[in-house]
Amino acid sequence: MSAGRAFRNNVGAVSRFVQKLKGFTWGQWAVLAAFLLIAGLTGWRAFHTVSRAIYWSHHRDEPIRGWMTVGYVAHSYRVPAHVLYEALGLPDRAAEKANGNTHERQTLHKIAKAQHRSLNNIVATLQDAIERARAPQPAAPAASPTSGAAP
Amino acid sequence: MTDQLLSLLTTYGMPALFGILLVSAIGAPFPVMFVLIAAGSFVTQGEMKLWQVLTFASAGALVGDQIGYATGRWGGRDLVHRLTVRLGGEDRIKRAEALSHRWGGAAVFFTRWLVTPLGPWLNVTSGFTAYSWPRFVFWDAVGEALWVVLYVMLGKIFSDQVQGLADLFGSLSWVLVGIIASIILGWRVLRYFRTQ
Repeated sequence: MSAGRAFRNNVGAVSRFVQKLKGFTWGQWAVLAAFLLIAGLTGWRAFHTVSRAIYWSHHRDEPIRGWMTVGYVAHSYRVPAHVLYEALGLPDRAAEKANGNTHERQTLHKIAKAQHRSLNNIVATLQDAIERARAPQPAAPAASPTSGAAP
Repeated sequence: MTDQLLSLLTTYGMPALFGILLVSAIGAPFPVMFVLIAAGSFVTQGEMKLWQVLTFASAGALVGDQIGYATGRWGGRDLVHRLTVRLGGEDRIKRAEALSHRWGGAAVFFTRWLVTPLGPWLNVTSGFTAYSWPRFVFWDAVGEALWVVLYVMLGKIFSDQVQGLADLFGSLSWVLVGIIASIILGWRVLRYFRTQ
């Protein structure tokens, strides 16, 4: 019996709810719509943020982007910067600094423009160089003259 | 946009940082959190000095906020005053002023570092409702300094994860704005159902 009564109570609540909705003015409808829209968007955004945070905690290497400088990529991927400068055919910044030639810290975006290459091309070159630098190396490269550029 | 801003930052250094923070405090939708985190990373890499980054960034934000406040106070206020004299609605303005005088300090403080997307709006409305300027400057300076230190230090600590960190916090600040808006609207909707 109590199940039937609960059902009737629910039906009553729903019909009261519908009655109230029918009595809404345009302004109230607008507020309700805005609430549903914003709450929905916020929930969706929050879900994305959490999933992104989980993704981030599992992927230490971040994709190479146009805003990054060569120094930042080297720092982020933990490879010596001179390796990346060499791969792009640029003078090593540390060596340049030592010579008193302080050329600017360029973003990859700018380097791509200056070299008339696409950003994807630059990124591919860097990824290649990073992989080579990270690969377990035979003894020789450690003593190569280029690695002595930094003081 | 991020590419261009970071190019400005890496090419021109501190004057660019000052300028970016100033313009974004006025209301330009720059990914300025990203710039702060990147600047923190450049500090770790030895490309920038910490005290310079903190000083120039805070100063830029502070000056930009004053421009917003001044616009509201000496631009918007006169205009709306002239309109309300003709069209009425003065009681609404009075209520907004009372609200601002009561909660102004807390609102300024929290929109500096926690709910940052609302910052530029609040500058103008604070000026518009004639919230005391010395108080505005005080809460503004405290909040902006906290914000700058927070994100620059985050960038300094997680210096190899700028992109991931900036994406995360950029997203988070919008979620916060959404939650606040949902609470305000949801409360109004609830009241519609209770009364009537």
